[in-house]
Amino acid sequence: MSLESGELDDLTLKIGRKPTSTELQIVAAEWSEHCSYKSSKKHLKMLPMKGPLVISEKGYDSGVLDVGDGYVITAHIESHNHPSAVEPYGGAATGVGGVIRDILSAGTRPIAIFNGLRFGDIEKDLHARWLFKNAVKGIADYGNCLGIPTIGGEVEFDKCYSNYALVDVAAIGFGKKKNLIKNHAKTGDIVVLLGGATGRDGIGGSQFASDSLESENRSAVQIPDPFIEKLIIEAILEARTENLIHALKDLGGGGLSCAVSETADALSIGIEMDVDKVHTRELNMNPDEIMVSESQERMLIVTSNDKLKKLEGICKKYRITCSVIGHVTLDNMMHVKKGEKTCANLPTDVVANATLLDRPSKKPAYLENIENEKKLKPILDYTKMMMKFIASPNIASKIWVYGQYDHEVGIRTVVKPGKDASVLRLDNGKFLSAKIDGNPKHCYINPREGAIGCFEEACRNVVCTGAKPIGMLDHLQFGNPENPEIFWTFLESLKGITDFAKYFEIPCVGGKVSLYNETPSGQIKPTPIIGILGLIDKTPLSTQNISKGDCIVIVGQTKNEMGGSEYFEYIHKFIGGKCPTVNFLESKINMNSVLNVITKGLVKAAHDCSKGGLAVAVSELCMTYQIGCNISLEKVPNQKLDVDRILFSESHSRYLLVLEKKDLKKLETLLKKSKVEYNVIGVFGGDHIRFNKESKNIIDLSVDKSQKIWFNSLKELVLHG
Amino acid sequence: MAIFIVHVTIENKPGISDPEGETILNDLVLKGTTSTVTKIKSAKMLQFTIKEKDKKSAKIKVQNICDELRIYNPMVSKITIDVFDA
Repeated sequence: MSLESGELDDLTLKIGRKPTSTELQIVAAEWSEHCSYKSSKKHLKMLPMKGPLVISEKGYDSGVLDVGDGYVITAHIESHNHPSAVEPYGGAATGVGGVIRDILSAGTRPIAIFNGLRFGDIEKDLHARWLFKNAVKGIADYGNCLGIPTIGGEVEFDKCYSNYALVDVAAIGFGKKKNLIKNHAKTGDIVVLLGGATGRDGIGGSQFASDSLESENRSAVQIPDPFIEKLIIEAILEARTENLIHALKDLGGGGLSCAVSETADALSIGIEMDVDKVHTRELNMNPDEIMVSESQERMLIVTSNDKLKKLEGICKKYRITCSVIGHVTLDNMMHVKKGEKTCANLPTDVVANATLLDRPSKKPAYLENIENEKKLKPILDYTKMMMKFIASPNIASKIWVYGQYDHEVGIRTVVKPGKDASVLRLDNGKFLSAKIDGNPKHCYINPREGAIGCFEEACRNVVCTGAKPIGMLDHLQFGNPENPEIFWTFLESLKGITDFAKYFEIPCVGGKVSLYNETPSGQIKPTPIIGILGLIDKTPLSTQNISKGDCIVIVGQTKNEMGGSEYFEYIHKFIGGKCPTVNFLESKINMNSVLNVITKGLVKAAHDCSKGGLAVAVSELCMTYQIGCNISLEKVPNQKLDVDRILFSESHSRYLLVLEKKDLKKLETLLKKSKVEYNVIGVFGGDHIRFNKESKNIIDLSVDKSQKIWFNSLKELVLHG
Repeated sequence: MAIFIVHVTIENKPGISDPEGETILNDLVLKGTTSTVTKIKSAKMLQFTIKEKDKKSAKIKVQNICDELRIYNPMVSKITIDVFDA
């Protein structure tokens, strides 16, 4: 691994001499895009990060939100794309491990895991199927072994991820506010490395993540060990409660190099350390290897000499190794020694802060004509088409995936995966709702509106459980930032997310940028992922049976926005058209009104309209609750659209509400008062899902038959092709 | 043509950690009365029964099967192939 040529000059200039080989390795790791955010940092400042509930402290790896009564939740999102693309099982598993240690480093207990997975076209591509199967298994094995529930996420397939994988993992932590670790250090404090031994695995991982994936011939593979991770969690939390930790940092990308330099820089201290003190798994590791190894399951702790004995006692109890590797100094230098010999001696601010770049950006040429639609082949039989549609990998139920995850361990999960968003019970009587969403098909057509759409969709999902969005995580995944057209899509998405966050006053509490996501066949589509945390003060909207005679109401307008829809891309194999846009005012009114009627207990179920449009949203309700319905399409508020557009447009800000007939009047009064566009579009009953226009039947599905297909098609495809 | 038994041993490459082997060593073997064991490595073994003209072609055949069908991931694991007469 090496620095770019300009950066070597930059480093030489900053330290006034030629760097040593260890220094080069340290700086190359820390200045990589993955660790330094050199392309994106300047722009990320635009995101609103403050809010009444946000607690920010120096050196936190995760966002912290105050949920009242002396409790906090923490949240973080990470990706492990490059490692998962070459070794899906270990890559996905260690991704989970990394994000969990970020939660831990604030001093909170991890209570839930989410994941967003994206692969190539698994219907045709065997390699994509192999990646998918093993990544899911990796996440399941790791989370299940740790006893942390994996409670939600999303899965999507698109040709742009062929021979590649996007594996995003988010985690939520919970704890007492008084137990948060307030990172601090003073001269004479000691630096302790705790956890797994350092080996040669994962050397150069962060640099690897900052290069394009050209071939599989890399050695940056990390092996997961969830049992050590579990012991680390318990040991750290015990040490936290005993007040033995002054500062805490997880070892992730860049290994010791990044952890030491970032801790020192954040706390304005220096750290002197000896590589001979690091417990290693292999013999004869040289200082360079020790400094950049990305061996998993390790934490860096700053504590004082008088607390060391107690800390060692805790480590012994949990049978994990800890070694004192150095101490805190005053000089703001990162001093790495091997015995008496100095290997590196660098100012921490130089190491931890790469020179930020101003990358050029340019609107991509492909966007010129992307909104033009081509003439589509008319659909002769919508019922037949619908059967094919609900069996398609992106629409089919993801039960094969979340069925492998233990989503109940810890007994907090009150709304389980498979619904709009999952809900966790907190110790103070409140509930936390969370969801992550992405939509690369929309983002490809319009990076700004697509990103806003993901944001709104995630909000809609938590709103459907009765929660008010209180915080956001963003994960921005794009191709090579050196390409001005790619960088433009990054900036557009970021601006969109910022505007929406500001308008709705939802602070960004954490995030990640992952660039250089490209494969030999090209760049990935822009894939920003938004995670939303919502808080429910009283009770979440929980599952009730839908019975015969219950009404279904749609809130929001269906517009002519077919670009990037599953219907265009899966059924018509057409990429193009105008993608859905969010009208901020309409979005706010709809969101608040839906939240209001849910809080008032008027609705039995709420579901958002998203992928696959109204037709899929209604069918999902029917298949989940195993009841038929009759929908009158002419009653759907729309812009005089053709039948297929009413059925499959993926316009935002739309919700389906299910309620008893007796509550309809009350609901209508409330919705009218807040000037929401809505209509009653049908009634439940029978065992067929029917969509009619005027008196003509358009779609007629048997609930039983379609439910079987919807539930089983993904599993069939993965296991039996 | 003769019948051969082919053992394929799949193990993590040297330098890549092996949590299973380490756990068996530390939490099982060394907890007992044995103290002479210094290392345990876990591996998976597949036993093929194959009809080929000689040992060499049996080995090549099995190697190809393992490579093509991704029976192991060459990024993480290495395989050792041993051929025996049936």
